[in-house]
Amino acid sequence: MSRIPHSLRSPAAVIGFALLFLQILLILFAPLLSPYSPVEADALASLQPPSAAHWFGTDITGMDVFSRVIYATRINLLISVVSVAVAFLIGVPLGLFIGYYKGIVSSLVMRLFDFIQAFPIFVLGMALVAVMGQEIWNVAIVLAILFTPVFARLIRAEVLSLRERPFVAAARCSGASDLHIMFGHLLLNALLPAMVQVSISIGMAILLTAGLSFIGAGVRMPVPEWGLMVSSGAQQMILGVWWVSLFPGLAIVFSVLCFALLGDVIRDLLDPTKTRRAVSTSTDIIPGIGGPL
Amino acid sequence: MLTGLRRFQQMLPRSLQIILPRLLLLAPQMFGVLFVTFFLIRLLPGDPAVLLLGNMATPEAVAQLRERLGLNDSIWVQFIAYCRNVLHGDLGISIFTSHPVLTDLMERAPATLELIFYAMILTVAIGLLLAVVSVVRPGGFTDVATRIYGLAAGAIPDFWIGLILIFVFFSKLGWAAAPFGRIDAMLSEPPYVTGFYTIDALVAGDFGVLHSAAGRLLLPVITLAVVNAGALMKMTQSVFGKVWASPFVRHARASGVPERVIIRAALRNSLPPIITIVGFLVGFLLGAAVLVETIFSWGGLGQYAVQAVMNSDYPALQGFILVAAAFILVVYLIVDILYELVDPRIRV
Amino acid sequence: MQEVPSVPLLRIDSLRVESITPTSAPPFLQGINLRLMPNEILGVVGETGAGKSLLARAILDLLPEDLRVTEGEIFSRERPLSRLSPAERRAFRGGEVALIGTNAKELLDPVVTVGSQLVRVLRSHHRVSRREAWARAVSLLAEVGIVNAKERAHAYPHELSGGMAQRVVIAMSLISEPKVVLADDATLGLDATVSVQVLDMLVERTRKMGVSVILITHDLGIVAHYCNRVAVMRSGRIEEIRDTVDFLARPDHRYSQDLLEAAKARPIPWVRSIGKADTPLLEVSNLVKIFPGKRPGEEVRAVDGVSFLIPPSETLALVGESGSGKTTIGQCLVRLLQSDSGRVLFDGQEITTLSEARFRPLRRRIQMVFQEPYVALNPRWRVRHLVDEPLRMLDKLTSAERLKRVHGMLELVRLPARYAELYPYELTAGEQKRVGMARALISRPDFVIFDEPTTALDIRVRAQIIDLVRQLQSDMQLSALFITHDLNSVRSLAHNVAVMNRGRIVEMGSMEEVFARPKDPYTQKLLAAELGIEGIHGPQGSAAAKKKGTVD
Repeated sequence: MSRIPHSLRSPAAVIGFALLFLQILLILFAPLLSPYSPVEADALASLQPPSAAHWFGTDITGMDVFSRVIYATRINLLISVVSVAVAFLIGVPLGLFIGYYKGIVSSLVMRLFDFIQAFPIFVLGMALVAVMGQEIWNVAIVLAILFTPVFARLIRAEVLSLRERPFVAAARCSGASDLHIMFGHLLLNALLPAMVQVSISIGMAILLTAGLSFIGAGVRMPVPEWGLMVSSGAQQMILGVWWVSLFPGLAIVFSVLCFALLGDVIRDLLDPTKTRRAVSTSTDIIPGIGGPL
Repeated sequence: MLTGLRRFQQMLPRSLQIILPRLLLLAPQMFGVLFVTFFLIRLLPGDPAVLLLGNMATPEAVAQLRERLGLNDSIWVQFIAYCRNVLHGDLGISIFTSHPVLTDLMERAPATLELIFYAMILTVAIGLLLAVVSVVRPGGFTDVATRIYGLAAGAIPDFWIGLILIFVFFSKLGWAAAPFGRIDAMLSEPPYVTGFYTIDALVAGDFGVLHSAAGRLLLPVITLAVVNAGALMKMTQSVFGKVWASPFVRHARASGVPERVIIRAALRNSLPPIITIVGFLVGFLLGAAVLVETIFSWGGLGQYAVQAVMNSDYPALQGFILVAAAFILVVYLIVDILYELVDPRIRV
Repeated sequence: MQEVPSVPLLRIDSLRVESITPTSAPPFLQGINLRLMPNEILGVVGETGAGKSLLARAILDLLPEDLRVTEGEIFSRERPLSRLSPAERRAFRGGEVALIGTNAKELLDPVVTVGSQLVRVLRSHHRVSRREAWARAVSLLAEVGIVNAKERAHAYPHELSGGMAQRVVIAMSLISEPKVVLADDATLGLDATVSVQVLDMLVERTRKMGVSVILITHDLGIVAHYCNRVAVMRSGRIEEIRDTVDFLARPDHRYSQDLLEAAKARPIPWVRSIGKADTPLLEVSNLVKIFPGKRPGEEVRAVDGVSFLIPPSETLALVGESGSGKTTIGQCLVRLLQSDSGRVLFDGQEITTLSEARFRPLRRRIQMVFQEPYVALNPRWRVRHLVDEPLRMLDKLTSAERLKRVHGMLELVRLPARYAELYPYELTAGEQKRVGMARALISRPDFVIFDEPTTALDIRVRAQIIDLVRQLQSDMQLSALFITHDLNSVRSLAHNVAVMNRGRIVEMGSMEEVFARPKDPYTQKLLAAELGIEGIHGPQGSAAAKKKGTVD
């Protein structure tokens, strides 16, 4: 048998990695792959249905939908990946500390998270972007603010249960210091559920970015962005012009789907209980393996 | 002092023992929400008074508002002034509509609540049913179908699926009602009782209005349910699946208890986490309503908030956020109380 | 009984159970032939993975989804079970053959009162009114020894102790008056005294009701004391099935002999080291540890004025049941818990008042072997790192030197050197225990605390661990505190014994003295609850039951 774990060979994993690979290709080779400029309007070619010249048709200003969908991969993934990375880098150590040390500071931070998360995430995001100014980087900053509590809470919850586990007591008996226990023992065990959350959060960030742009609280025209493109076709949709909104929407679906699938794959891959079960069922029925004595 | 309080608490019936401390907790939580909404506006560069009044404001009006908000005082005094205004129901004047924000919000709240209410019922029905069937009959058609649906539903943007539904069922097939508001423009609103057009029309006995209102609700409710039922289903699957695999279910089966009795018992055991999930769902739906209302010109709170964003109408935005958060807090409060009431294991 | 006595209640003919996915692995069960007669208690004994529980599940037709009966047949009063309709099968489960499982608290629906759960089972099998069913439930709860059954029927499972919950599960199995009860390790995890009470009660009730029992267990003591016949299982087969008395006297199979041998205590053959004993290595005086109680202002004195001495290279066993405070003492000694008062002198130095920084160098000399092997090892670390952690924390060695020490330690605990690269989940429970020991011993400590080293291990593995500890004691001249509820292992391991009950030491002395002539009533009760396998002449219940004459 090959050394590739079973969970990496499931159809879900294959589709997930294929979509990821495709997106990386689109990001790297957007200028080569797109037949037109993503921002150049052509008033003569307004609202043309999909054809050989314009595979996905054109929008009301005559911009090529196909080229814009390709270029938007850059913007959408950039915002999502950067914001989740920032949230991860801040949230994980923060969660580790507030989980390990029970004190006033920890509970204050938790209360602050409670307040932030009392707001519906989309509503708060919308308000923050509106207040900070509608720019690409502000959208990323806002998403980072929204996702930081998610990671911090997740890590904290893990740490809270992990720190009561006997292996932490065993480490202390071996003379391990707080820092060693936090970073040597707890972080590694707590990080894996966070990895799953990273993938899911990137998907959520893509949806949020698109949603914000859709209502006009995100990036502005003519920047190629999927949500904005769906929005620009919304008025014509009722009149039967479907291609302007359909294709960028499909791009969102596949992009989010990709990260959801990868999240599932990571979960399966890193779940030690699954591996343990597989091993124990195979050894339990073999007699005499109890010890080599 | 504290032990005295505890003793007093222990004399109350269990349900009150659960509810009272939760209610007490609501006050600091609301305070926290006020804090966040207040500083949200302070993030803005420039003079808050000018922002709150709009660029057209006269210097006198700006000076007057500066006085009322206490902008010349320290930030903490300002915060207290803000809290006082909110407590008196003064959320400011909308720049865009020139009405008091509170009036605007009250007017639009029933539209949003009606939408969320029906979306919620449909979401819970779909989500729970699919989850239970897929867990009880693993490997069957439903199991595979729900797995695909669960993945897809999480990836579909609600604003986009709403547009697709409009295109297919209104523009192409002509089955659905037009996506322009809560009721046919030719009809007049039913007399106000609850603010829910469907219920008010029923009360008034006006079936024409009822038909129109229900028809208009159909697509936005389906949009919200299709997207959110997937998440609810996945979470219920994991909760119910865990209970379904637990030793007591196996033991009940070994004791010859009929399958439908076991399913009921397992559902009863999954209830506490499901209640929590449904609580979160209200939050999701409120956020999603912002987008869906815009598409269907619903005229509710969500659309109001979007207009506020586009017109830089900060008092309206601030007011909307405050009300949304307060609403969510109350929902969470109810959820917490229900959770503890249905789980006898929770020690009060 | 209306049955003709010669018809077996349960007959299993050449049963074979296999995985539905074709594998080269041997079948999970094969060639199982068994007859259960009326009024019989049949013991099924074997180690983990022998297929005991699978046999019970096969009888109830509740095999895991990926397993199938591929050969043979099970008959209930000569009716083949494979011919039953789904409705008949449901009625058969619980109606004719009822199951009592392990870990009773998990077998009860957590959000329903225990009375209603009994009603639920009864009404699944008999057409009775709700009120009548409730009355039956209450009276049965009283019969299984639940005090104040009328009120207790309204209790939720989380409000019951483990022993109580087990009684409820037994009541649940008996309520629809089955012909056969399958007790699958029913008392696993209960304290010995409770376990004996529950088993005595179970046997007495089933005798009275004319119910036959299949008692599945890994404990030969239970078989010896309660069963008429015994079936020894190993890797999916029945090795031998015999009369209990014959079996204990002369087991046929090599494997059975090994099992019986492993279950016996080993006398302590080694002499005490003389001369060094004048200054004790560890001296504990008046140790107190208080925990906050469930209600505010309430406190629980988990350790209540405990004093003892441990001379160099001697072992003291701290025995007692769960909640007696013995583990708390161990945690106070390694400073996982801060004691509230009292003195602990280690090698003449007071350690309770030392700061953590000053205590750290001493950790090399005081080590602890943790109870649950899997959870006490970081699941994401390799054995190599798990074992050398104390070295990395406390010594300055190069990684090559550390690896050499690790290999040396693994050899000492009888693990192959290649295990250094494995993760804990790749090891069996016995191997995990060994890794735990290697880790505690690598810093060459003078004093080691063994927390329940023999619990939850199979008979032979347990014997291997005991032999290993004995050898380490003599090779390394260790002083040890041995915390356990397994009295049999104390016989093989300890020089001195301290018996704990509710935070206090009720009796202390040399092992031989305490075991042979216990003075304290609590010690006597503990020893009476021990189900030994020596000198048994047939099923007789526990010594405690004999002494009292009746149960409960």
